[in-house]
Amino acid sequence: MLRSVFGKTLWDQRRSLLAWLVGITAIGVFYAAFYPVINNAEMRAAIEAYPEGFLDAIGFTDVTSPAGYLGSTTFGLLGPALMIVFAAAIGGSAIAGDEESGRLDLLLAHPVSRWSVVVQRFAAIVVAMAAVGLVLALGLVVISGPADLGSIGTASLFAASIQLALFGTLFGALALGVGAATGRRSAVYATVAIVGVAGFFGNNLGPSIEGLGWLADVSPFGIYLGGEPLKNGLQIVDSAALAVVSLVLVAAGGFVFNRRDVAV
Amino acid sequence: MTIPIKAEALTKSYGRRRGLTGLDLDVHEGEVYGFLGPNGAGKTTTIRILLDLIRPTSGRAQLFEQAPRSGGPALRRRVGYLPGDFTVLGGQTGRELLIHLGHLRGGVPPARIDALADRLDLDLSTRIGKLSKGNRQKVGVVQAFMHEPELLILDEPTSGLDPIIQQRFLELVAEARTARQTVFMSSHVLSEVQQSADRVGIIRGGTVVAVEAIDSLRERAVRRVEIQFDEPVPLETFSGLAGLEDVAVDGNVLRCRLTGRADDLVKAAAGFGVTTLKVEEPDLEELFFAYYRGDEVGHVA
Repeated sequence: MLRSVFGKTLWDQRRSLLAWLVGITAIGVFYAAFYPVINNAEMRAAIEAYPEGFLDAIGFTDVTSPAGYLGSTTFGLLGPALMIVFAAAIGGSAIAGDEESGRLDLLLAHPVSRWSVVVQRFAAIVVAMAAVGLVLALGLVVISGPADLGSIGTASLFAASIQLALFGTLFGALALGVGAATGRRSAVYATVAIVGVAGFFGNNLGPSIEGLGWLADVSPFGIYLGGEPLKNGLQIVDSAALAVVSLVLVAAGGFVFNRRDVAV
Repeated sequence: MTIPIKAEALTKSYGRRRGLTGLDLDVHEGEVYGFLGPNGAGKTTTIRILLDLIRPTSGRAQLFEQAPRSGGPALRRRVGYLPGDFTVLGGQTGRELLIHLGHLRGGVPPARIDALADRLDLDLSTRIGKLSKGNRQKVGVVQAFMHEPELLILDEPTSGLDPIIQQRFLELVAEARTARQTVFMSSHVLSEVQQSADRVGIIRGGTVVAVEAIDSLRERAVRRVEIQFDEPVPLETFSGLAGLEDVAVDGNVLRCRLTGRADDLVKAAAGFGVTTLKVEEPDLEELFFAYYRGDEVGHVA
């Protein structure tokens, strides 16, 4: 673990990564376990009593079917929200955090290029996101039987988890890229918050507003959930799109980072 | 033979603030070069340009006759660097950090790390966050020296070290010099570099105003001297002596400023009974003062 910047990054953050891993999985599984509570006639009536616009705005659709419920809660709301916060934290610390605290000077004075540091720190983020996706998928597979969610199927749970991990990777790349370009965590958090909130509402509300339907197509939420992986399995094109955008963000951040001064 | 450090007309502007204003540097292979100047003079800025952490606004900087930027990692492999503010994650032990940094440098024998830590009296198994500032600085010293680089760039290396460890550090510098390593170390205190440096460059306002062999600088340095005698002494015995200024006698006590050799003063004082003798180390400001008196103008680089 001490041989490379990549390994050292994961090693240094092992405790906080474990906490995020356990936390996100626990909350995802906890929500899944609530499905039997919602899946009855009274609840259905109660939910239908809400104005449709409100349910659209928070992304709740078809919430009484197993795939609809899990897609609206664990994968539609809490999962991505937690992944965004997680991504901002580890992506922001990757370059900007080290730079603000003055730790970056020592690393960059070693025989390692700035590009290499960016790529290795990004690789650590990808591994962290993949780990969260994997453990979440395993947790959901275990709970799906007892929670009456068995109809979704193991393959679809893994498909949605993989796409959630890619969604997290995209925000991690955004955080890393903005941090590498600016060296400031405040810029990272502001950008991630704006893209996250705009993406969420753009995806949920865009289609119901004349002329703004395209918002869902460009929203990270739309790319991630639009193909309904819980019903249709892994969406290759959507997944590739999330991966490609991530790489572009990292490359753009690295490009600026390589040309600018490192702050004291 | 390649020149370890060279800079020509180096400038660096931060917005409207001027960091460097045309700095020239020429460090010879195998020498210990003291880079001396008050805080804010541009020492750290110069060093960070040499390590390609920042880029100059104009002018040229070179390590081993290569630009820091185009030289990249291969060039930095030949350098050991101690930042002025040595900050690392506190959750790791010294050994964890040093082994990691050693790997980045292509591997450093653990025995070498242990030997250096022993000499500096540093415990490598303690988490860095729990170390005192001085002990943390020792970790920084070890990582700079451990791979035996051709060139050591040390930014205020002795800050926070207690006098005994400072002495051990200076031994390391002397050994590096014997091994034909080049040492470039900055300081704002002359006494920190005068013991080990061959030459001293004085930086002020973003430019090197003078380069001197340490011996001639020491001769030029102004020291405050205070001698307490057993009995009152006559002023005229001392006031005419060469190298003495601002001579004042206050009862038993003589106060003056001494430039250069102390011989005349000591011989004059020997005619009386001396109770105590106090000679203050020359500080940089006094040194600059000495430098900027009329007769030195022609000397300024």
